Amino acid sequence: MKVREIMTKDLTAVERDVPVRELIFILDNAEMPNVPVVDDEGVLIGFISEKDLIRAALPGYFEMLHSASFIPDMNQLASKLAEIADEPLEKYMRSDVLSVTEQDDDLRAADLIIRKGVKNVPVVDGEGRLVGRVRRIDLLRHFL
Amino acid sequence: MIVTVTLNPAIDKVYWVDSLKICQITQEEFLTRATRSSTSAGGKGVNISRFLSAFGMDNVAMGFVGGYTGHVVVRYLQNKGVTTNFVWIHEETRVNVTILESGRDHSPNLINELGPHVSPEELGRFLRKYRRMVKQALWVVLAGSLPPGIDSGIYGELAQIARDAGARVAVSAGGETLTKALGACPYLVKPDTREHQLLEGKPLTSTESIIAAGQHVIACGAEMVIISHDVTGDIAITPDAVWEIDAKVPTSEFKNLVGADDAFLGGILFRLAQEAPVEESLRFGMAAGIASAESEKKICEDHAKVEAEMAKVTVKKL
Repeated sequence: MKVREIMTKDLTAVERDVPVRELIFILDNAEMPNVPVVDDEGVLIGFISEKDLIRAALPGYFEMLHSASFIPDMNQLASKLAEIADEPLEKYMRSDVLSVTEQDDDLRAADLIIRKGVKNVPVVDGEGRLVGRVRRIDLLRHFL
Repeated sequence: MIVTVTLNPAIDKVYWVDSLKICQITQEEFLTRATRSSTSAGGKGVNISRFLSAFGMDNVAMGFVGGYTGHVVVRYLQNKGVTTNFVWIHEETRVNVTILESGRDHSPNLINELGPHVSPEELGRFLRKYRRMVKQALWVVLAGSLPPGIDSGIYGELAQIARDAGARVAVSAGGETLTKALGACPYLVKPDTREHQLLEGKPLTSTESIIAAGQHVIACGAEMVIISHDVTGDIAITPDAVWEIDAKVPTSEFKNLVGADDAFLGGILFRLAQEAPVEESLRFGMAAGIASAESEKKICEDHAKVEAEMAKVTVKKL
């Protein structure tokens, strides 16, 4: 089966200059763990997730800590988030974005999601424009 | 690809009741039990998207959604095969209620909410997304009422952006919203006459007045104006002709008129987008509208049923 037959046909996306504050609103309200970044032609140029924002707001040494309890308090996270809230999201997005095309087999989408541990994969057309996404749940529903 | 814009979408909640009791006595209440009910995504553009997807035409539904009800709208459309591209806003998407009394199905009782307030920032986010989408569109459909916070000139602005991008524009709206949109010369104009039987302030009460009002809009640059004459009859005005579209169907066979008008326009756009002649497009549109009115579902998705209704529709030049 082809990707276009199992994908969620939703084009929710952000532009690279959208402020972090607005991005958080979109992630929250659209109930998406991550969102594709597109240019003015709708071409996929990146990807940004809740995880990327949390990483951006945590101290640089966080990943070396054994537990979050070593962080003095959550004020540090809150103040750092407030600091970056009006910054453009492009500072924190990833440009090495994985994607599949509508014509790809479902197996390729499944392979990326399982091997790379991502929650969903953007789907693009022949010109690289966003046309949807394949979510983990799309695969589960499809293979049931 | 067709882009439909529904700035004020809704959840359409339909209740079928044996009899609607209205309480007019203080400190008493009447309970009306619904014998059936249905929930679907609504709004003129949304309904048109549903029709287009049911008939296999690529389309993208755009507009504003918010809250739990916004998720219901988006999910419903995706399940129907519509591609969604909405802007999420702070306030919640509205709910419209239709009550159909047994034996009076062709006269529904409607309660439509005003809709959520849209902020200038949220409108700005929409405009950016819209500019991106219309570059890929053959047709852009601007349809339905406006939510609070949106200026009545918005359809004119959106029509101009779409025209500049090379898309044909269809506007289905009423009152000042439609009047202001006409300045941008949309290709197709369908006045919403549910609340006001007017076009540019002119009454639409007789065949003569409908033709005169439509020809005035054509003279301003539109290519097609479609105006409802009665439930089963419409008049279409083009630069070189006036068409009367009539369906030989008793209104007693109608089960749900909600959405039928949108299926009508969806059918016309479906055929026009395939470069079909005007006469055939109008016939197919009326067949789609009639099939939807005869169905309890808001939009008839049954291809065979729509094709069968074609035989009951006449389109003739006046």
